[in-house]
Amino acid sequence: MNYFLHIIVLLNIYIILILGANMTVGMAGLLTLCQAAFYGIGAYIGTMLLMQFDLPFIVIALIVSVITGVFSLLISYASLKLKNDYFTLATLGFQMIIFTILYNWVDVTKGPYGISGIPAIKILGLWSLKGVVPYAIFTAVVMCAMVGIFVALKKSPYGRLLRAIRADETAVKALGRNTSAAKTRAFFLSAAFSGIAGLLYASYVRFIDPTSFTLNESLFIICALFIGGVGNAKGSIAGALFVVILPELLRFIGLPDAVAAPLREIIYGLALVVIMFVRPQGMLGEEMSK
Amino acid sequence: MKLELQDIRLTFSNSRKGDFHLLQGVNLAVSEGEITAIVGGNGTGKTTLFNIISGFITDYQGKVLIDGKDIRPLPTYKRAQAGIGRLFQGTQLMGNLTLMENMKMASVDTMGEHPISPFIAWKSIRTHEYQKEQRAIDIINKLFGSDSKYLSMLDQKASALSYGEQRLIGIARLLMGESKILLLDEPTSGVNPVYIKTIADIIRKLVEEQHMTVLLIEHNMNFVKSLATNCAYLDNGKIMQYGQTEQVLNDEGVKNSYLGV
Ligand SMILES: Nc1ncnc2c1ncn2[C@@H]1O[C@H](COP(=O)(O)OP(=O)(O)OP(=O)(O)O)[C@@H](O)[C@H]1O
Ligand SMILES: [Mg+2]
Repeated sequence: MNYFLHIIVLLNIYIILILGANMTVGMAGLLTLCQAAFYGIGAYIGTMLLMQFDLPFIVIALIVSVITGVFSLLISYASLKLKNDYFTLATLGFQMIIFTILYNWVDVTKGPYGISGIPAIKILGLWSLKGVVPYAIFTAVVMCAMVGIFVALKKSPYGRLLRAIRADETAVKALGRNTSAAKTRAFFLSAAFSGIAGLLYASYVRFIDPTSFTLNESLFIICALFIGGVGNAKGSIAGALFVVILPELLRFIGLPDAVAAPLREIIYGLALVVIMFVRPQGMLGEEMSK
Repeated sequence: MKLELQDIRLTFSNSRKGDFHLLQGVNLAVSEGEITAIVGGNGTGKTTLFNIISGFITDYQGKVLIDGKDIRPLPTYKRAQAGIGRLFQGTQLMGNLTLMENMKMASVDTMGEHPISPFIAWKSIRTHEYQKEQRAIDIINKLFGSDSKYLSMLDQKASALSYGEQRLIGIARLLMGESKILLLDEPTSGVNPVYIKTIADIIRKLVEEQHMTVLLIEHNMNFVKSLATNCAYLDNGKIMQYGQTEQVLNDEGVKNSYLGV
């Protein structure tokens, strides 16, 4: 039972992460390769706040999302005015820099040793989450809130503006819209989502080290997004289900770890290739027509 | 509003053949309530001139003035907000948006286009959206009649329309905004003769009723003659002829080098 709930917690965290990536990829039409960096920033900032201050979750979540968001602005201002390819390159650079800092700034992050003994989240400042049951429920609530925000944004005039930009940015500019600002905001939200996922992860696992926030992890998130489908919440949920459940299934059918791990990678890779051939929009995603 | 171009120059630096001077001192003024046509051969820089006015090209020399004010510091979207509307050459609607959404995107009302707004002002978003819808329906009614098929296609993706239809809606869309200056790049290309007259009527009405300033690029000389009060002939990077439309189009030089008669 606890094992099952543990999977649920991971699933919820991954849904938030993939939704975050979807804000940038699906809504703003930009490819990001640094979602794990935001995830890590959220985890480390969240950890420091949890260890230093006795604050309720909502306050910590707000601070974490704002700080992670502000990091995203660095990339936006450096690159959004340029072409989209440069944006992707900038996110790649950012991912590498953040990982290096997390790994090497030992005084603050404890580097490769990681930080342990992270306190649990407190709701309303009193009720401390202990054990897997409350975490399963709580992460599910946060995940639902994030899905709600994503859907509301997608349906709003803001979502329409982003879709219009994907179709024809030049025309949208000529209609008097600041398209860079619109994309910057989407990326900000994308970072904030990932930051919150990082906060949840750190306080749930109670130990973090830089290896959870690598470029590989960023690629993994993007793969999950594309497998599940880009552009809507359904797709992100499907993607998270696929990448979180698959390893467990492989373990369940009794494959030894030495086989299961590489097999998993191969299945992800194959899934990506097959999906791009058969259903470029992903399992449940939307057609990203021009 | 008055639009003036003062000594606009644009040079492309090519390593292979040296510099190419596309625009070599273009001067032109269009006053409020005027329709001026720019005519000239392919590749003479007409669209480029529009790109300079709307801010897509920024490394030009000279001045673009609106009511006497140099708009050089303004980026494209601010120029649009300042009242410069544009119909692009050959482009179509945003295909992944519905007809109605295409109309709404052209409104100056940006209520709800900030990500925070659905969470703090969803009620007023609803009213604003409703007003935009009504306005769009009014415009389509007025232009194409209350029995037009576009009214029943409002929730279809714009990519479902033919090229010419998209051009027409593209022009209808201009009425959603509050532009004071319209830059129309070949509005009639790909549109059938019946609708060419509709387009001319729309533009004429806009100028009469809303005192717009219109600058248009056209290769359709009948359209130019029927609509434009003034005409500028662009060749060799300069306005070679300027005056009343009839006069310019009857000029021997223009006839020989552009009209081919
Ligand atoms: N980097 C460059 N170097 C040299 N010439 C260039 C460069 N970029 C664009 N041009 C030229 O500038 C011209 C731009 O033409 P523009 O689109 O303004 O023409 P136009 O008058 O609108 O023509 P049309 O009637 O065919 O639409 C073209 O002749 C193009 O070859
Ligand atoms: Mg042209």
